[in-house]
Amino acid sequence: MLDGVMRAGTDEWEIPIGFVPGMRVPGRFFLSDALMAILEPGAVQQLANVATLPGIIRSSLGMPDIHWGYGFPIGGVAAFSLDEGVISPGGVGFDINCGVRLFTTPLTQGDIKKPREFIESLYQAVPTGVGAKSSVKVSPAALTAMMEKGARWAVDSGYGVERDLARCEDGGCMKQADIRAVSAKARARGIPQGGTLGSGNHFLEIQVVSEIYDETAATAFGLQKGQICCMIHCGSRGLGHQVCTDHLKTLEEATKKYHITLPDRQLACAPIQSPEGIAYFGAMAASANYAWANRQLIMHAARLQFERMFGIGYESMPLVYDVTHNVAKIEEHTVDGHTRKVCVHRKGATRSFGPGCADLPGDLAQIGQPVIIPGSMGTSSFVLKGTATAMERTFGSTCHGSGRVMSRSQAKKRMTGKEVADHLLALGIIVRAPNEAAIADEAPEVYKPSSEVVQVVHDVGLSALVARLSPLGVIKG
Amino acid sequence: MSYEELSHTADVKIRACAPTPDALFGEACMALMQVIYGGDRRGGTKSVIDLSAPDQESLLCDFLSEVLYVTEVEGLVFWHAEIHTEGLHLHAVLDGEPFDPVRHNKGTEVKGISYSGMSIKKDAKGYMLDILFDV
Repeated sequence: MLDGVMRAGTDEWEIPIGFVPGMRVPGRFFLSDALMAILEPGAVQQLANVATLPGIIRSSLGMPDIHWGYGFPIGGVAAFSLDEGVISPGGVGFDINCGVRLFTTPLTQGDIKKPREFIESLYQAVPTGVGAKSSVKVSPAALTAMMEKGARWAVDSGYGVERDLARCEDGGCMKQADIRAVSAKARARGIPQGGTLGSGNHFLEIQVVSEIYDETAATAFGLQKGQICCMIHCGSRGLGHQVCTDHLKTLEEATKKYHITLPDRQLACAPIQSPEGIAYFGAMAASANYAWANRQLIMHAARLQFERMFGIGYESMPLVYDVTHNVAKIEEHTVDGHTRKVCVHRKGATRSFGPGCADLPGDLAQIGQPVIIPGSMGTSSFVLKGTATAMERTFGSTCHGSGRVMSRSQAKKRMTGKEVADHLLALGIIVRAPNEAAIADEAPEVYKPSSEVVQVVHDVGLSALVARLSPLGVIKG
Repeated sequence: MSYEELSHTADVKIRACAPTPDALFGEACMALMQVIYGGDRRGGTKSVIDLSAPDQESLLCDFLSEVLYVTEVEGLVFWHAEIHTEGLHLHAVLDGEPFDPVRHNKGTEVKGISYSGMSIKKDAKGYMLDILFDV
């Protein structure tokens, strides 16, 4: 066990105040003993650093996919008082509203007679990898609308259906977007990249529902065993990256101005209600909206390929849900017995709103929010549902993925991209990427097993298992 | 080249070494290009960056962030960087070529330059930089 970290229960650990100087609250994270054995000390240090930030409420939280990042650890969650608290780009990340969506189809595995041809058609339809440019012509006015309206812009422009919006967090639009806080540089990066997937761990994957754990919730989410689904993972592209870069500079100045002492420059922050904090929040929300529009464009391109290849109707491919896992939001939570508005930062963590929460569509109000957890290339992804326990314990938050355990340089030394692709093909999984390194970087072995991570959140009660999805084919950037 | 990729689980950690701070900044820029585009890069098209910052770490972070912007928006891939710093002002002349989707698809996008874990140290042999790129 890491020195100074204390067991606080089964799958639960505490970092006491004093672990690093200036902690205002303890750190708390959720890990099985097996996952605890591979936790990096750097991630614990970063979780403790977050606990030093002004206005943090209750504890600095780590989900079971916690790993070493920059600023906040990845898998970090923290809520801040609106009066005394701060907002920090280090608690959101460069890829604002990196997120995941899942849509279903009426197809089963047997309907996909030529899987390689189909994966290739998706690869050609969705611009992927370094330097990829969008086939969607985004005018400056359209970019403004993307940032102000999010997924609504895409649907109004013919890239989706009305029902899609009800199946996105916040309806696919943060209303606090302020495009005045988005620089000309960020806009210049956003114009050519609408509808592009990006690279790294971003992907589009064809999956089959291989196991149902909760029939009632699965039925409500529109999931059946044997059904073909499509999962999309990407974010706000260069626009969001630039917004983070720009505002880190202004917030670093603000940190001095407001006399905030930080253990890490990447935690640069400002009071939520300060001009600098408000500007970052407005620009971050605009970037989040761009990301929702982006995922909507990619889903549209994928739906058209399903239509073309299999003759199924666009309307027969409903969106299960779209979750964001890099964001800060103003939400209502119960703190010390009172309902309060707080600013929740989720950096590599997923919202997990339980039954009865506001923002859930009417038909899911009694079930809970769909929580979509992607696996790595060769491992299962999962659909879970939000819980009352998450509302009580983690400000309605759960894990976001598997969490890496091996660096990219180690991964490349261990196996070539071709070896990884051949290994996956033997398991029935087709991989298409612009280069071999992109495949080696993201080999299944470089991640914690997704099944172990979701088992912890299920056991602790931060979300509850609904269905398992197995990969059949993936395109990566 | 005098930079190498160190082990870091989530992102790309680079260690660069050079005899002078200017050369160190140039190495960091080339490491960034290597991560994004791979090793097949050529010259021919120049691009200039001028900026100031309140301290040396910010100067480097701002410079590399500006390179990320220029490479993406102007579609240029650089193979050499000539850096001149005077105090906390930087003048860089970057030499590169237009992005080629066939030759330059060997890497991964860098989303941002992080201050976490950044250090610039001087010893008898010269300067050493550790820096994290978010990918």
